[in-house]
Amino acid sequence: MANSDAGDRLSPARRLSAGERLPPGEHEFIDRDVVIGFEFEGRQVAAHEGDTIGSALAAAGVDVLSRSFKYHRPRGLLCVAGNCPNCLMKVDGIPNVRTCTMAVRAGMTVGRQNAWPSVDHDAGAVLDRMDRLLPVGFYYKVFHRPKLLWKIMRPVVRRIAGLGSVDTSSDGGPTYTHRNMHTDVAVVGGGPAGMAAALAAAAAGLDVTLIDDQPVLGGHLLYDATRYTGINGTGDGTGQEIAETLRKRVAEQDGIQVLSGATAFGFYQGNLIAVHHGYEAVQLRAGQVVIATGAIEVPMQFENNDRPGVMLASGALRLARLYGVSPGKRAVVATTDDSGYSTALGLLDVGIAVEAVIDMREEPGASEAADAVRTRGVEVLAGHRVVSTSGTKRVSRVTVVAPDSSERNIKCDLVCMAGVRQPVTGLLLQQPGAVVEYDEQFGESVPAQLPGGVHVAGDITGFHDLGITLAQGAATGRQAAGIDPEGASQLDAIERDYRAGQQPPGAFTGRDGRSAKKEFICVCEDVSSKDIDVAVGEGFNDIQTLKRYTTATMGPCQGKMCHRAFVEAAARRTGQSIVATGRTTARPPAQGVPLGALAGPGHMPRKRTALDGLHRAAGAEMVELGPWLRAHNYGSPQEEALAVRERVGIIDVSTLGKLDVRGPDAGALLDRVYTHRFSNLREGRIRYGLLVGENGAIMDDGTVTRLAEDHFFVTTTTGNVDAIEDWFNWWLAGTGMEVFVTNVTSSYAAINVAGPRARATLVKLTDVDLSTDALGYMRSARGMVAGVPCIFLRIGFVGETGWELHFPSEYAEHMWRALMEAGAEFDIAPFGLEAQRILRLEKGHIIVSQDTDAVTDPLDAGMRWAVRFDKPDFIGRGGLVANRARPPEEKQKLVGFVMHDRFVPEDGQPVVEDGEPVGRVTSSRLSPTLKKGFGLAWVPEKHAYEGAEIFIRSGQTDSPAVVTMKPVYDPDGLRLRE
Amino acid sequence: MAFLLNCPNCGQRNVYDFRFGGEVLTRPAPDASNEELTAYLYARENADGPQREWWNHSLGCRKWFVAVRDTHTNEVIETSWPPDILVSGHEASDGE
Repeated sequence: MANSDAGDRLSPARRLSAGERLPPGEHEFIDRDVVIGFEFEGRQVAAHEGDTIGSALAAAGVDVLSRSFKYHRPRGLLCVAGNCPNCLMKVDGIPNVRTCTMAVRAGMTVGRQNAWPSVDHDAGAVLDRMDRLLPVGFYYKVFHRPKLLWKIMRPVVRRIAGLGSVDTSSDGGPTYTHRNMHTDVAVVGGGPAGMAAALAAAAAGLDVTLIDDQPVLGGHLLYDATRYTGINGTGDGTGQEIAETLRKRVAEQDGIQVLSGATAFGFYQGNLIAVHHGYEAVQLRAGQVVIATGAIEVPMQFENNDRPGVMLASGALRLARLYGVSPGKRAVVATTDDSGYSTALGLLDVGIAVEAVIDMREEPGASEAADAVRTRGVEVLAGHRVVSTSGTKRVSRVTVVAPDSSERNIKCDLVCMAGVRQPVTGLLLQQPGAVVEYDEQFGESVPAQLPGGVHVAGDITGFHDLGITLAQGAATGRQAAGIDPEGASQLDAIERDYRAGQQPPGAFTGRDGRSAKKEFICVCEDVSSKDIDVAVGEGFNDIQTLKRYTTATMGPCQGKMCHRAFVEAAARRTGQSIVATGRTTARPPAQGVPLGALAGPGHMPRKRTALDGLHRAAGAEMVELGPWLRAHNYGSPQEEALAVRERVGIIDVSTLGKLDVRGPDAGALLDRVYTHRFSNLREGRIRYGLLVGENGAIMDDGTVTRLAEDHFFVTTTTGNVDAIEDWFNWWLAGTGMEVFVTNVTSSYAAINVAGPRARATLVKLTDVDLSTDALGYMRSARGMVAGVPCIFLRIGFVGETGWELHFPSEYAEHMWRALMEAGAEFDIAPFGLEAQRILRLEKGHIIVSQDTDAVTDPLDAGMRWAVRFDKPDFIGRGGLVANRARPPEEKQKLVGFVMHDRFVPEDGQPVVEDGEPVGRVTSSRLSPTLKKGFGLAWVPEKHAYEGAEIFIRSGQTDSPAVVTMKPVYDPDGLRLRE
Repeated sequence: MAFLLNCPNCGQRNVYDFRFGGEVLTRPAPDASNEELTAYLYARENADGPQREWWNHSLGCRKWFVAVRDTHTNEVIETSWPPDILVSGHEASDGE
């Protein structure tokens, strides 16, 4: 088949067989009438609709799906439930996809990872024979002497170890969205307990959200063909039939929303559940939560327990019953309870030979299923244990040991491990107040304490009985609905009966619990029972340090496959009880989740001024400044700056923060938060305002204009207005002062008109007397410009005669056009942020956070004039008084500097003295006036005088510069007063 | 961190709607010693248990209020307007 066929549904005439399949089963997921193709490492593989990548590859005879983390051992399907790490592959460029649960889509590209040259022939497999070079904690032990060796080996080790690699050339992959949902009851787990809980809660009239990680509701019943009789409320039938009955009821019941194929990975305070659902991350806030996450089978301990063909019994049955794929031809079933007999029957029913059932209990099972297995001629080996497997890329033989210690080999190509379960408590335990305790009788760690509003039901409780599971589900559903279940005591009785009839489970360790180098506890990280022994012997006898040292439970499955075995191995070696050994801490995420899902779409709003379209039409280059986009330049910042110096320029300053501060105590509030005094400011006057924190460090600056006795107009720096609004309100809170602070930033557009011809431009548009006598520097007026009501602020950030006009933003474009037209005869030019920065730098005006940092105070920044120590108190006064007392040799001062030529040092370059950095440049540009490099710099106080020589380092060169204590342009500020 | 806070103005909302304002502190008098000032600026009680703290409903009504939160469990025990906060130099007015 040619590659171009990828993605097409194959016509019947050209249909390929989708691998070898078992006879059709009634409840299987696959549609045998539909065949789709996908690309697997360059070849086409056919699959049925409903297959997962893993099931399709198994049908195609691919046994080795991955290479292990450390030793590069071959690994095959183990859980078939998306829990273990064995099937991680790269799918359509995304690494580490769990292919055993990822549905096949036509045309997808799939490849195995972490092997060279291929997973089938991996050179790294040699590491499996070099395990002495790789002891537990080897990264602390080997390759460290001589010292240089680790430098060489580290990249090698990093390359060999690990999982898939991220494709850094990709465009970032799919875009995820975030959604908030609210529900009365969230039920996590769509097995029988979860469905029963959802039905009971919804029947009581509540809104229920049911979250299930499988494509179809049913949990372990989906592949359970055991016939159940006498189950309360569902009628007799196979597990699969009962699942279908429940599924129908859920579909018909009002008030249940089902999220299928969704993973609940986080469980936070206030019953907030984080769910990964396709390309969406859902934050589900629930009134009550039912955790019905079940229990998963985990591997047994014996040598080479990781060989392909060694599977969890549930995994083998999933493969056979859901996908019609035979997990093997000759099976051996090892079990610690009666479930192994059901597994054996299940395998026999689909035509797989069962060589033996190894019942690890001393007393073999006596259940109906056990009898049926014996009747069908299967050998039952009671009290035996599996000690090892043999084979190369797939198991070919299993070695068992009898109670009398005699050993025996059994040929097989499939080993099913049945009966060892680990309740899935990873999600539950994220919630404060949830406690799990080891239950001696069950041999499992089950929920013992629950926080309010959280309930558990089903296999997670350690009861593995369908009748109890359904009763628990219904009871928790009613509890969540606040209906006191009269059935609670009834449930207790059922649970007691179950416990009374429960045989203790068999041990699931290999030969007498002795450890072995290739008896794997943690398949994700290749940690064996021997590694645990060695680590404990080295002193890591606490479960938390043991975990970190061995890295057991820290791989992709996050302990799902190994937590129980890890704790039991640690307990065995330290001689402590399992209870005393404790547990590792459960943290989110309970299941791997793509970083993209956590990040979601960008949440940062991008603000555009009302003049944005005109700037772009004029060819402006836009730049982000805080949340805003501003015009950086219209082609040439130097030309724009000269236009302001020689003619007239206009700039959009709408992004300035604007606060309307009103009320009888408005002046008092401003006196309190600013270093300057404002209560004595006369109406129609403007004063520079500097805000400092309580430590005296500069927070923000701007202008304060008194429009009326009880009315001030305050500007803040771009992007800072929300913080300043909060700051004002914070210092108002609880004081009883009568002031309203209203953020009018977006209501008012603002344009600064500046330059020697600014007045001539503006007088054409307004009746307001703009003469210096009537409206001098630092004065304000109100009046009409081009028919628009404006606040005029006569200020001079750029150092020329100029007015900042504030007016309703709906007139912004009209105003801009009117100004451009009026100024046309003077060759008016728009100027951008960069030109403004050059112009203000020539005037020595600081930009907060460019020229200041988190500890800069106004005294060192040369703005002593803006601080009124004669006020008895203001925010930051104490900090400033303390700073003032610091000795001069500890201080730096912000000064101007001018280079001797056009060289412009970069912002941030060090000022040096005797080769040592003693200060730094904060802003530097080429001065269009001086035609020299110049800027602002922090220097030691001893250099802060007119004409001092400093040196600025750039690369290897120290360039001399001259300190100026006055602005380099119009030092006495005559021009802006004209 | 995913608890809920009861804004005295707007009602119960997700914590993400709010901005944390730190412990409720008493501002030292203008003539306080350097030690008192340093303690005010840098020393925090950091209680393990109930703590009075400032919160601002920044994505809502933008009002500041005071919450008593158990820092150990994040349980918000109560929220209220700040009628009696001791901010130096200001007395609560009758109106509050």
